[in-house]
Amino acid sequence: MALVGNIRDFGLSDFLYLVDRGDKTGGLYLSRGQETALLFFERGKLVMAVRRPEDQQPDLLVRLGLLSENQLARARASLAARGNGATLTEVILAENLAPREQLQGALQSFSEEAVYGLFGWPEGEFRFEQNQRPDPAAPTIPSPISVDHLIMEGSRRIDEMGRIKDRIPSTDLVVRFLDQPGVRIKGIKLSTEEWRVIARINGRDTLAEIAQKTNLKEFDVCRIVYGFLTAGLVEVVKKPVPMPLARGVPAETSRVKRSLVNRIINRIKGM
Amino acid sequence: MQTVKMVISGAVNAGKTEFIRSISEIEVVSTERRATDDTRMIKKETTVAMDFGRIAIGPDLVLHLFGTPGQKRFDFMWEILSEGMLGLVILVDSTRPETFRETNRIIDFFISYRDTAYVIAANKQDRPNAWSPEELRLALRQPPHIKVLPCVASDRESVKNVLLELLYVIQERSEE
Repeated sequence: MALVGNIRDFGLSDFLYLVDRGDKTGGLYLSRGQETALLFFERGKLVMAVRRPEDQQPDLLVRLGLLSENQLARARASLAARGNGATLTEVILAENLAPREQLQGALQSFSEEAVYGLFGWPEGEFRFEQNQRPDPAAPTIPSPISVDHLIMEGSRRIDEMGRIKDRIPSTDLVVRFLDQPGVRIKGIKLSTEEWRVIARINGRDTLAEIAQKTNLKEFDVCRIVYGFLTAGLVEVVKKPVPMPLARGVPAETSRVKRSLVNRIINRIKGM
Repeated sequence: MQTVKMVISGAVNAGKTEFIRSISEIEVVSTERRATDDTRMIKKETTVAMDFGRIAIGPDLVLHLFGTPGQKRFDFMWEILSEGMLGLVILVDSTRPETFRETNRIIDFFISYRDTAYVIAANKQDRPNAWSPEELRLALRQPPHIKVLPCVASDRESVKNVLLELLYVIQERSEE
């Protein structure tokens, strides 16, 4: 079943997070006016991203200088001979038509740039077709790439406070790491400013306090933390205050009797 | 007579009125009025005050169900309704990702100051292109211990299941 929506309402970073954490496989189709884009994921990792339909075709490899026309013809013939299951990229590697590093580097850069451009879209329809895979002859990246650093890079390109405010409504919020953030941070390359901010995250300081301690503008700290937040590395929470007691609001469920709950359960079961 | 209260919240057109209507023993008391803002784009009539349903548990105990108004301009009502509640159901229209941010705002409102037992009901699972409960969990950034349940608010059995799952959460936190 397809997931449909608009990136105005459910941002591309949010979608990439869903793909990553949900280990999703499928094709994400985006459109805005005359512009289109197509991204394919395999178990949560990006295998191909194109902004023009023709870039799904194998001759992209020739245009990128990765193969000659003759090499491509040979690879396509081999792919046809192999039949179901094989992909053009696998054939190219198996027959040593191009070095793996070169293929990986060029196709990864090409796909990353296609994705980064999409972060500038303020809106656009999306449709995610689950379990859809690229055509076997499509120029896919040999080793699918993690979307974590795509999210980080995408957030660096966000300059509108409106979107950031959706997730960080106030600089009085405290930033803290989620469980085992170190494991996830390993795949992400941080800028100097990002390192300065991450070094100050202690679960006690607010965004405003971090800005003060790092001598960064509050907006820049918000933008950087937005990236961490979207990548699922940190969370922002209200500074703990003893509000329930101060406001005289009892924690109702903590003092409810189990017998009462059991009575309600039995009644609803019997309805 | 003891009364206990559960609150059903969610964005505009998430299915709160229908949810309560499916399980209430009384005709749901609803103060629906013609919508005057952009909710008109979604449905002709939307809840501007609240819905109220009732289930008699026994001669000495009644469960009240309150649906909150969906629009932002009525969020002052949420705090009033949430006082003394036993638990909270957050309804989400699984077919409309444009409401997920608003849903997060509602969750944040209810849980920020109170240790509230809550579940999320992924409503309209019978519709095409409904996001699955697991996809909604990721979209709403909910931790694994929060129950995100499939729901069709017009189906009594489905509503019963959501309420029971919430009651199991409350049961775990209750005292002997």
